[in-house]
Order: sequence, then structure tokens, then C-alpha cells
Amino acid sequence: MARSVWKGPFVDAYVLKKAEAARESGRNEVIKIWSRRSTILPQFVGLTFGVYNGKKHIPVLVSEEMIGQKFGEYSPTRTYYGHAADKKAKRK
Amino acid sequence: MNERIIVGSIGGAFGVHGEIRLKSFCAEPEAIADYTPLYTDDGRSFAQLILTGGLKGGFTARLDGVISKEDADALRNNKLFADRSQMPSLPDDEYYYTDLIGLDVLDTGGEKLGTVKNVMDHGAGDLLEIQTPNSSETVLVPFTQVAVPTVDLKARRIIVDPPEGLF
Repeated sequence: MARSVWKGPFVDAYVLKKAEAARESGRNEVIKIWSRRSTILPQFVGLTFGVYNGKKHIPVLVSEEMIGQKFGEYSPTRTYYGHAADKKAKRK
Repeated sequence: MNERIIVGSIGGAFGVHGEIRLKSFCAEPEAIADYTPLYTDDGRSFAQLILTGGLKGGFTARLDGVISKEDADALRNNKLFADRSQMPSLPDDEYYYTDLIGLDVLDTGGEKLGTVKNVMDHGAGDLLEIQTPNSSETVLVPFTQVAVPTVDLKARRIIVDPPEGLF
């Protein structure tokens, strides 16, 4: 069942605090978080979070299209390398 | 730069008329047919690859010179390689993973931080996995203009200005 709208999106309080502090300081830093369950909010856009995957913190640069998703979706817990073949990386 | 790049593998024969089961590692799986000639681990080359159908997780295909089930079975578990030069050139700020892997990583002061071990994308943009010297640990750096201001493929190095807390 979907979460009730009146509650608003769930975010762990410490994530909000850390994001607010990082935004105010204006420094280019990775905000280490363990809360994979927290929802990505509009005020997180442009910040880089280090989302824990059980082993290490995976850098996640938040962009607009990620709003509403959970942090955990961008920090896989299982390793799969595959082959590079003709895959391309775009520098944003 | 690697001369030949792995693009797929052969699973074995499909049917009795010389077709093969093919697994493509390309970003767009059908693109494997555009990178001919293809080479196997044992040095054989195939000038033409025609995709004849789809399978779960792969394709059925015909390779030139493979006309019987025995020929196809002999190719089982062979990897297929393509020349790097067959791949189209890319616009600015776009790079093949294979070109980035192995580059030296320097910081803005010119000190070596490691080498690029792998490139990955978990949905939030590409990440460079950097193998640091004297350690088995790897560090992930977002592949952005801010964090990676310079990519010099000719000099085989990239310069990174990582966010605080990564290294």
C-alpha cells in the first residue's frame, strides 16, 4: 500500500540536518549517510551524498529527475562488473 | 589504448544448420553486428555476423564460414573481440569505458592518486573506480566536470578534484 499523502515523504531527520549544514557551508563535500530509506527531496539537488551499501559509501550526485526516489536505489548492495565493451560514460 | 575489445561470447550451436548462440556485451546488444570483423581468443576472424533471431539474454546468429553444427560447437565458450577502431568517435565529454580504464589519476597538484580500475553507472551518473596505490581499497569519484576537470586520453591521465571526504 502506498504511503499516505498527508504524512509527506519520509526522510531521516539526520539526513535533513546534514544536508542543510552542507548547503549552508557551501563546501564541495560528500555527505555520508546510512539512511537508504530516505526519500530524495528537492532541496537535495546538487549535493553529493555518500550512500552506504553495507560496505562503503557510494557517491550519489542528486539531480532533479531523482526527486521522489529513495537513496538506496542508487547504491547497489551487490557487485556486478560486466564487460566494458562499447559502453560510454558522459561527463556531466 | 586496447587494440581489441571484448564485445560478446559464443554459447554454442543453435540448431543443426550452423547457427550460433551469441551473447552481446554491448550497450545496445544489436550493435555487435556493426563491429565486424570479429576475432576469437584463438585468433580466428569473421568478416560478417548476421543476427538471425533473439533468445533469452542473447541472439541467434550466423558467422561467415560456420556452416555446420560441428563448426558452431567448436566455437563454444569463445569470446568475441572487435577492433577499437571500429567504434564510432564520440562527442566531447563522452568517452568509452575501455578508454578510461587504466588511465593514471592525478590530483590538481600533480600527485598520483591511483589508476582507473573500472567505470560504473548505478543510475546517478557515471562513477570512476580508482585503485589507490599500496592498498586494496578502491575509491569512487563521480565523473563530473567539477570532480574530473581534465581527461587527457593522449597523455593517458585524468586530473581529479574530488569532493572532500573521498580520499
